[in-house]
Amino acid sequence: MSARGALRVVGAAALALFAALAFTPLAGVLYRVLVPPAPPPEAAPAIVVLGAGVDEGVLTDHSLRRALGGVALFRRGLAPLIVMLGPGRRGRSEAEVRVRLAEELGVPSSALLADPRGSTTRDEARVCWEDLAPRGVRKILLVTGGQHMPRAAALFRRVGFEVVPAPVHDMPSDVDRPEARLEVAHDLLGELLARALGRVAERR
Amino acid sequence: MHTAFILLLVGLSTLAAALVARKGARRRLRSAAGKTLETVGLAAVFLLVNAVIGFSLTLLARAVTGAFFSLYLNDDVTILALSALQALLFQWWREPEEG
Repeated sequence: MSARGALRVVGAAALALFAALAFTPLAGVLYRVLVPPAPPPEAAPAIVVLGAGVDEGVLTDHSLRRALGGVALFRRGLAPLIVMLGPGRRGRSEAEVRVRLAEELGVPSSALLADPRGSTTRDEARVCWEDLAPRGVRKILLVTGGQHMPRAAALFRRVGFEVVPAPVHDMPSDVDRPEARLEVAHDLLGELLARALGRVAERR
Repeated sequence: MHTAFILLLVGLSTLAAALVARKGARRRLRSAAGKTLETVGLAAVFLLVNAVIGFSLTLLARAVTGAFFSLYLNDDVTILALSALQALLFQWWREPEEG
């Protein structure tokens, strides 16, 4: 096959994939296959909210949803402590911004802990263990996005935690809007890549 | 609803373009579709190359400096747009000059 022919095949495949992901329910189907539904959350000594990004003191959409998810669990009386995670390069860290938000939403300062040291999910599991193990906390309610939960829960279990998954619905899995469908596919692809890279790192 | 609306919109504008196209030009539709597929294929190749280079640079920067550089640096929609531009430029560059 000539180079032009090969490019046409690649182009046709790319267009077909784009059409399938944007204009059919395929992305939602993939989401439901790859993201298992979580059981209702149960009480634990601490809620741990994983980081998802902050830009110059402004939380990203994912970060805000996760922070609010953690606060909602606290308000339901499921745990007496919230650990907010998330680093920051300029200005306040994500963890600090979230703690301030939680305080404004009525969570007492004594029930909040900010730890901005973790840059990856693996780091977050490690620093959380350093924060909570001395307090005797082993069981945690883990708050993150549904697509991120399987990998995150595995990493937190590996450092010694008993994990109760409490995923936030930060991605619509059954939508008609092509842009939202592509966003779901994009986030799933990112998570699958992260899982693959994590496996490669473990083999070293 | 959204999907139907967007497909209708693009279908109508394509139909309008076909109506204003000259008769002779319509015969070249097959060739134009082929070139479009080539350009999309090139954009996909550029996107893949950009991703591989981006991931490699990020991991190299981590190894050399010891500082943390997020792989999410490579997760920006502008890379997709710029890959499409690279493909267009490359495509026009390869085309023989007219006249």
